[in-house]
Amino acid sequence: MISRLAKLDRKLLRDLLRMKMQMAAVSAVLACGVVLAVMANGMYDSLERARDRYYAQYRMADMAAAVVRAPLSLVPQLEAVAGVRALEARVAGVGLLDMPGRGDPVSARLVSLPPDRAPRVNNIVLRAGRMPNPARSGEVLINEAFAKANHLAADATLSALIYGHKRQVTVVGIASSPEFVFAVAPGAMLPEPERFGVLWMGREELARAFDLDGAFNDVVLVLDPGANARLVAVDIDRLLARHGGRGAYGRDRMLSAQFMADELTSLRTMATILPPFFLLVAAFLLNVSLSRLVATERSNIGLLKSFGYTNSAIALHYGKFALTFGVAGGLIGMIGGRVVGGYVGAIYANIYQIPGLGFDAGPAVYLNALAITLLAALAGAVQAVLKAVRMPPAAALAPPAPAGFSRLGQSLERFAARLDGKSRMVARRILRFPRRSLTTVVGIALAMGLLITTQHFPLAIDRIVAVTFGVAQRMDVLLAFSEVADDSILRDVGRLPGVLKVEALRSSEVIFEAGSHRRRSSISGVPAGATLNRLLDANLVAVAARPDGLTLSDNLAGKLGVSLGDTVRIQATDGHRATADLPVVAIVRPYLAASSYIDLDSLNRMLREPGRVTAAHLLIDSRQRAAFSARVKQLPRIVSVSFLENARASMSKLLNEGSGFFSGLFILFSSLMAAGVAFSAARVTLAEQERDLATLRVLGFGRREASYVLLAEIGALLLVALPIGVVIGAGMSRWLMSQFQTDLFTFPYVTSALAYAKPALFVAAAVMTATLLVRRGVDRLDLVGVLKSRD
Amino acid sequence: MKPMNQPTDVAQPVFRLEGVQKRYGEGEAAVLALRGVDLTVARGELIVLLGPSGSGKSTLLNILGGLDRPTAGHCWFGGLDLANAGDAEITRFRRHHVGFVFQFYNLIASLTAEENVELVTEVSDDPMSAADALALVGLATRAHHFPAQLSGGEQQRVAIARAIAKRPQVLLCDEPTGALDVATGIRVLETLVTANRELGTTTLLITHNADIAQIGDRVVRFADGAIRSIDTNTERRAPQDLHW
Repeated sequence: MISRLAKLDRKLLRDLLRMKMQMAAVSAVLACGVVLAVMANGMYDSLERARDRYYAQYRMADMAAAVVRAPLSLVPQLEAVAGVRALEARVAGVGLLDMPGRGDPVSARLVSLPPDRAPRVNNIVLRAGRMPNPARSGEVLINEAFAKANHLAADATLSALIYGHKRQVTVVGIASSPEFVFAVAPGAMLPEPERFGVLWMGREELARAFDLDGAFNDVVLVLDPGANARLVAVDIDRLLARHGGRGAYGRDRMLSAQFMADELTSLRTMATILPPFFLLVAAFLLNVSLSRLVATERSNIGLLKSFGYTNSAIALHYGKFALTFGVAGGLIGMIGGRVVGGYVGAIYANIYQIPGLGFDAGPAVYLNALAITLLAALAGAVQAVLKAVRMPPAAALAPPAPAGFSRLGQSLERFAARLDGKSRMVARRILRFPRRSLTTVVGIALAMGLLITTQHFPLAIDRIVAVTFGVAQRMDVLLAFSEVADDSILRDVGRLPGVLKVEALRSSEVIFEAGSHRRRSSISGVPAGATLNRLLDANLVAVAARPDGLTLSDNLAGKLGVSLGDTVRIQATDGHRATADLPVVAIVRPYLAASSYIDLDSLNRMLREPGRVTAAHLLIDSRQRAAFSARVKQLPRIVSVSFLENARASMSKLLNEGSGFFSGLFILFSSLMAAGVAFSAARVTLAEQERDLATLRVLGFGRREASYVLLAEIGALLLVALPIGVVIGAGMSRWLMSQFQTDLFTFPYVTSALAYAKPALFVAAAVMTATLLVRRGVDRLDLVGVLKSRD
Repeated sequence: MKPMNQPTDVAQPVFRLEGVQKRYGEGEAAVLALRGVDLTVARGELIVLLGPSGSGKSTLLNILGGLDRPTAGHCWFGGLDLANAGDAEITRFRRHHVGFVFQFYNLIASLTAEENVELVTEVSDDPMSAADALALVGLATRAHHFPAQLSGGEQQRVAIARAIAKRPQVLLCDEPTGALDVATGIRVLETLVTANRELGTTTLLITHNADIAQIGDRVVRFADGAIRSIDTNTERRAPQDLHW
């Protein structure tokens, strides 16, 4: 048995050498799928593992709660709450920084450090320098992203405006923390490391600065494994209630954690959706190649069977072809996945400040990829292998019946009659082998669809940026106040140099309840007639926030399970903790996750705090920007000054990070897929038509005329595939955009002619290149050998 | 457009071969398939090439049809030296002047009998109609059948119709009856003889079968890559009188 198989294996090896180009085509498509699977799954694993390790090692908070002012004597009671494993009572706030050489104000989150030990929760990693000495005043740590973006090193001095008091601080170290993998300024949606940083400083000093001696205003805690977060939150809220507690919340309301979760979701989506495309097409290609091999090896199969080879030996023999294709594709893909993963890992490491983050896929990622590749290869081989097994030896030894063609039906024949002989050959072959033609069409169309889909991501991103900063937000500056402020502050703001218009905003953390659904989210109170920050519906038409009820984002409405007309209970998490039942009066689909809106006065009435604001939108005279920046830093209650153009640039940068790399990768892979499909189809056509092409040559047709038969077949299939690819691409783009909807972003479906034209060009070029490569076979036809042989 | 050098003078030979050699391979592995063949083929002749397998007759036919080139010597078709002509000239030569008939028909499976013939008539200067060509081989009623719907003999006759439809000067037939039974073979030979007689097509026909030699004007016997003898039949026998 072994020696028999050994001989068959020798045949296998020689056949594979002969089929090396087909093997390359199939394996390349398989490899693309494996690269994507390894890269996306590996990156998911790496990011998740790095995050979890980071969170665990540095005790990322499971829960947090803000409070107006609670005495430190409350801490033991908080620590005693069942389910609390570790707790840190801190002083936290926001201040403005005056950076040397930077006119625009920069804001910073200030967080206290315990004097004599490392934080028990949200610990920090010292990346450079040293910890602040509690005995010396003005020593701070700054976060790594901020240091990098502003080229700050240890020993830098900054001027900080904290709670209305100016003080000099010295940077003694650079740190990062799981709490601030992304650091986002108050009122902003996205990280802007150039303009927002984190400052850690000694507890005593920061408490003094915020007038919180012997007290704290921020609690972060780690829970016991298996603890009931809801019950813990109830106990914490109960203890903090008297001191102005604003309600405990979990990681789902911590922006940095939310960003990470979003990214992981995107990677998972990519890993689930993209590789199957390539594996499916590769399976089809393998099916075509192996079916052709079994057909040409008909007499060999008959001979082997007549010699006594068992069906299983034959099945194994042809199965090994598939396995070899699969292993080749799998190995190339795994290596490629590792390389591409390395690049992607570097991109991620640049975005996420997580120590040790890089591409670090475990063996399971590679083994899974190899396993699905082999499965795809075997699935592609099944039909051909069964055909070989079922072939009776006698029939296999007889020559095959000539391919039977018939007329195409009246209307098609009328069409065919207008063609010349060679075009008629092409038309009849396409229709005579519909499954194979379909495989080619579907393969090319899928490649085209995939490329169209990937072209839509940058369009969506451009649209989000353009709409957010061009249509919805039309202010020049967003000012955030340190806490809920009296609206008289708007008058002070209006007097700042260059201010042309001021519009108020009140944003508040509330708990939404509808039926059994409960979500903590923010509500925005927008003044009637607001024009600087507009709410848009799906058609980008401005929608006014109404006084008579809630306008919800469709994302939040979905999570609460409510629709128009339903009632939602709203409970404030601070102040009077007012509660109100409000009807849903409109549902909108904003690109950026602001969750709910109501008229400002109605919100203030509901919260029983009339005339309060938390932020202001300004229109300023750009010529007076320097004067504005200089003065705004001196207003005591302002904690964040965000210029729209900076926010726009940051958002573009964040969303487009790595997009050039991915765009190139997808163009390459889709072209490879299209080329692989065309190459396989052309090879089979050439092999099957060898005799016909030789006949044409003998009848006096030149090489170009004979090549026409080959090129026209693939060209015709390409022409059919392109519009189907357009339909697949349009459908997939729409669907994928909806899949990529997260708590923070909604990806709109935006399209352009170029998103279709470019893929069509790439795919057509790939198909024609592959076909022309095969066409050279027409030049090499052995006319005499082919024509004197029996079919 | 016809090549300038075609033989038009009736007295001028269609083919003139001088010392034609054909060598395959190099060095010790080299095989001499033709060892210096001299032959003149006159217009309208029907020549039967006889000889065992490997004797060089097919190689000679391929050289005459522009499918292969000699490694030494000259092979003139009128004024065109097939040994040294360019690819495009050779293609034009095949397109306008030569018809081939092979043992295995080589019809295009996706075209009907008529369309197979039209494939040639579409690109010829002065072809007969496909219907006439099919009528000439007795297949007028089978014009719309695909090759798979025809018997072997019928397929071979379609191949002959396709070869003669452009009114070629030369018809080259390599074992045209090799795959056919006797009765069908005779029918095919009758078709070839008819074409030779009615169209004046110079015909060279390869066969293993010595009986078939009787239908030709001359019989050229091959052995070991060289012509062993050339005999002239005093009387050509009609195919229907043959038995084998």
